[in-house]
Amino acid sequence: MPQWFVRGLRRGVVTTRYPDHADASASVLPSPPAFRPEELTGQIADSLVQICPSWALTRAGDVLVFDAGACTACGQCRESEPRAVTTSREFGLAATDRSALVKRIPLLGEAGQ
Amino acid sequence: MTPNASVTEIATTATAETEKAAAEALRRSVSSQFGRSLHIRTLDTGSCAACEQEIRLLAAPHYDLHRLGFFFTPAPRHADLLLVTGPMLRAFGVAARKTYEAMPGPKLVVATGACALGGVYQPDAFSYGSVDQLLPVDVWIPGCPPSPLGLLQGLLVAVDRLAERVSVLSFVAGSES
Repeated sequence: MPQWFVRGLRRGVVTTRYPDHADASASVLPSPPAFRPEELTGQIADSLVQICPSWALTRAGDVLVFDAGACTACGQCRESEPRAVTTSREFGLAATDRSALVKRIPLLGEAGQ
Repeated sequence: MTPNASVTEIATTATAETEKAAAEALRRSVSSQFGRSLHIRTLDTGSCAACEQEIRLLAAPHYDLHRLGFFFTPAPRHADLLLVTGPMLRAFGVAARKTYEAMPGPKLVVATGACALGGVYQPDAFSYGSVDQLLPVDVWIPGCPPSPLGLLQGLLVAVDRLAERVSVLSFVAGSES
């Protein structure tokens, strides 16, 4: 605290910057899914859409639409299709535009055409 | 679609457009206007309190958001930033609108958590389904609940001290590090 006070007087700025190292507990926290497009087929995509409890997944033709804003990181998609879905380990997801949170995942699996 | 359309219309009038422009200008110039200090009013519009739990942890020594120049205030009239959680219950609509109007301009609205972003509840007789149905949202923080570090990043994005990075993420495994 005294160092802060002296530093504040010296520099005229009493606040510090964003943490310069990652949160150590980040690796064990739930995070939104990341998808493997080459493992995703139309059938798997449809089952994922059915499973998602928070309407974060929808299917538009040969594209799986993932709304990271609606995702609750519950992990049910990862549990049901562990080959096609993994965790993203992303936490700094703040967006200034809502549509920036909606991601389009192509279905590149064999039966996905 | 929405039974209480008159309240929703308020958010989409020309006033809302100027509010939005003022908020964007504030986002860009907050350092000079506020001397890197900003007061936050939290608003619970029907959340399960998980988001509140994480917001409370921001003030704990581990994250210590005060060192970044953010402070919580109990009064909307003292607040520069409205941190909104929950799916915006219809019963809370008038109170939320009054809170927003009580804040001095320019002001920012940050929607926090999957409910506020429209993920968990669909619009129905009880809730608007997302915060942007009623208030002009400037920054969106996903997560259920968002981790304190995610909240910190969101607040710093809101005051333009960090660039947002979610728009470059693809959520395809192996494509991002």
